[in-house]
Amino acid sequence: MLINSVILILREVLEAALIVSVFLALSQKLQLSKRWLMPALLFGFATAAIYALNIQVISQAFEGVGQEIVNASLQVVIFGCIALFVFFIKNAQNHKRIAFIMMCCVSMAVTREGAEIIIYIQGLIAIPELRSPVLIGSIIGAGIGISAGVFFYYLIASLSFKNGLRLGLFLLILIAGGMIMQASQLLIQADLISSQQALWNSSSFLNERSLTGQLLYALIGYEATPAPIQVYMYICSLFIMITLTVRTLNHFKQREII
Amino acid sequence: MKSIRTYLLFSLLAIITLVTFFSVLHGYQSSIAKAEQLFDERLQHLAEIIAITNQDREPRQEDSSAHSSSVFFEIWSSELDLLVYSHNAPMEFLTSTENKESFKNVNFNGYRWRSFTLYDQRLDRWIVTGERIDIRYGLAENIVTASIIPIVLAIPIAGFIIWWAIGLGLKPLKTLAIQLSNKEADDLSAVALNESPQELTQLVTTINALLRRLTSAFLREQRFSADAAHELRTPISALKVQIHNLQQKNKYDENELKPLAAGIERMAYVIEQILSLYRHSPEQGLVQKTKVDLCAIAQQVIAGNYESFSEKNQNISLNSESDFMLQANTFAIETLIHNLVMNASKYTHEQGDILLTIRNADSVIQLVVEDSGIGIPETELDRVFERFYRVAGDRHASGMLGCGLGLAIVKHIVDLHGAKIKLEQSVELGGLKVIIDFPRDEI
Repeated sequence: MLINSVILILREVLEAALIVSVFLALSQKLQLSKRWLMPALLFGFATAAIYALNIQVISQAFEGVGQEIVNASLQVVIFGCIALFVFFIKNAQNHKRIAFIMMCCVSMAVTREGAEIIIYIQGLIAIPELRSPVLIGSIIGAGIGISAGVFFYYLIASLSFKNGLRLGLFLLILIAGGMIMQASQLLIQADLISSQQALWNSSSFLNERSLTGQLLYALIGYEATPAPIQVYMYICSLFIMITLTVRTLNHFKQREII
Repeated sequence: MKSIRTYLLFSLLAIITLVTFFSVLHGYQSSIAKAEQLFDERLQHLAEIIAITNQDREPRQEDSSAHSSSVFFEIWSSELDLLVYSHNAPMEFLTSTENKESFKNVNFNGYRWRSFTLYDQRLDRWIVTGERIDIRYGLAENIVTASIIPIVLAIPIAGFIIWWAIGLGLKPLKTLAIQLSNKEADDLSAVALNESPQELTQLVTTINALLRRLTSAFLREQRFSADAAHELRTPISALKVQIHNLQQKNKYDENELKPLAAGIERMAYVIEQILSLYRHSPEQGLVQKTKVDLCAIAQQVIAGNYESFSEKNQNISLNSESDFMLQANTFAIETLIHNLVMNASKYTHEQGDILLTIRNADSVIQLVVEDSGIGIPETELDRVFERFYRVAGDRHASGMLGCGLGLAIVKHIVDLHGAKIKLEQSVELGGLKVIIDFPRDEI
C-alpha cells in the first residue's frame, strides 16, 4: 500500500509542482511579478476541497461519467492556459494577462490534482491497518514531487535567460502534451470517444504502473497501450505547442533578447 | 536569487528529500522481499514440523478453530485423499505434485493464499501449509513502515538544522553587510572581520583596498581644491588691481578697458562657482556638520548682499516664524541661500519682489525662495540642475553674469544634507518658486 500511495501521490503532486515551478522560474526570467502564486494556490486548494466533498454528485452526473468529464475538461483548460501563456509571453506589456493565465492554470492544476489526493487519502485513511502506510507513502510521494519541482525551478532559474527560457518552454510542451493525452484517456473511459485497438503495447518495455511509468505519465502522459485517437490528439497538441514555442523564441531572437 | 539562505535551504532540502526518499523506497522494497522470504521459510518449517509430529494416516479434522484463521495445513495421501486438515483448509488439492517442495499462490475462501507443498517420502504423503497473503503482507508492511517513519519525520528536523547552520555559515557575510551599511557617508575607514572565512577574505581585502584608494583620491582632490583656489585667486586679484590702476591713469580709453574688466570679473565668478561646486559635491561626503540656525544664515546672506537688491530697487523680505536649527554645514547653507537669493535677484526685474520663507511643514523644515521674475518654463525645470546649463542657452534674455552652475551647486548641497528640492511657479509672485525640504531628524 505504501508503494501504491507513493506512486499515486507522486504522480499528482509532480504534475502540479512542475507547472508551478516552470511558471515561477519563467516569471523570474521574464521579470514578472510572482504575486499570482498565493491566490492561485489558495483558490486551487479551496476548489479541490469542494470538488472532493462533492465527488459523489459529480461522478453521478452525465450518466455516471461526471468525474471523467470534469477532469478531462480541467486538463483541456490547463492545456489552453499553457498555450496562451506561451503565446503571450512574447510581449512584456501583457504582464497582467500573463499573470492571470498562470493563476488560472495553477489553480486548475491544483484543483485537479488536489481533489484526486484528497479522495484517495480520505478513502483509505478510515481503514486502521492502512492508515500508517498510506500516510507515510503520501508524504514520501509529495516530498519527491515537491523536491523535483524545487529542483526544476532552481535549474531553470540558474540558467541564462536564453537557455532557461528554452528549458522552461520545452517542459511546458511536454506537460501540455501530457494533459491532452490524459484528457483523451479519460474521455475514452467515459465512452465519449471510441477506443480502438491499441497502436502498440510497450508494457513489457516500460509498464505504466511502475514507478518510472507513473513518473513519465505525470511528465509526458506516457501510456503503454495508447488508442490511435490518443496518439493523434497528442501529436496535434505537440504540434500546436511547438509552433507557438518556435514563434515565441523567434520573436525574442528578433528583438535580440536571446 | 532573492536570498542565499532560502536558496540553500530549499535546494539542500530538495536534494536530501529526493535522495533519502528514493533510498527509503529501495529499502522498503528490499525489506518487503526479505520479509516475504522469512514468511516462506516459516511456512516451510511449519510443514516440516507437521510431518514430524503427525505419524498416523487416519483421516480426521483437527480442531484448530481456536487458533489463527490466517494459516491452514492439510495432509494428503499419495492418492490425494485428504487425511488431516485444519478447519479453514481447502477441500481440494490446489497445489501441484510435480515438485517435492514447492511454493504457490492459490485462491480460495475469497482470499489469496501463499501455500507450501512438501512430499513426506517416509509415509508417502503430501503436507500442505498456507498463509493468507494480505495478512502476511500487511504484517511485513507494518514492520517496514515502522522503520521508515523516523526517516520521514527527520526531514523537517533536518530542515530546521540546515536553516540554522546556513544562518551560522552566512553570519560573517551578514556582519560585513551590517558594517558596510552602518558606515557614515564620510567614514572611509577599513572594514574588519574577526576570523573572516576564506571565501570572504578576498572580498574584504578588495573592499579595503578600494576604500584606501577612495580616501587618497579625496585627499588629493581636497589638496587640489585648496591649491587651485589659492593659485587662481591670487593672479585674478592681481589682474583686478592692475585693471583698476590702468583705469585710474586715464591713459587708456575707458571703453577699451571695460570688456577686459568684465572678462576678469566673469573669470573670477566662474572660478569661485566651480570651486564651490566641487566643495559641495555629495561624493565628497567629508563636510563637517554642526548645529546651524537657518534663519540667522538667511538674514546674514540678505544683509551681505543688500547692495545688489537696492541697486535694482528690489523688495526682499524674510518670513520666518522662529529659529530653525539644522544639523548642517554652515558654509554650504550660506552658499545655498546666497545662490538662491542672487539667482532670484538676477532674474527679477527692477522693483520686483523676492520672498524667503522658513517654516515647519509636516516632518520637515521648509525653505522657500520665490520671486516675481521671469521664472523657468516647465519644460526646462528638469534640466536647470545640470552643470553649465542656462535657460535659453548662452544668450540669456536677462543678459546677466552667470555660468549655469548656481542651481547645480544648490542641488549638490541639498543632496549632501539629505534634503529634497522642488521647483515650481510662484502663485503669489508669479516668478520661480524653489522649495527645499530639510529632514527634521537631521536636526
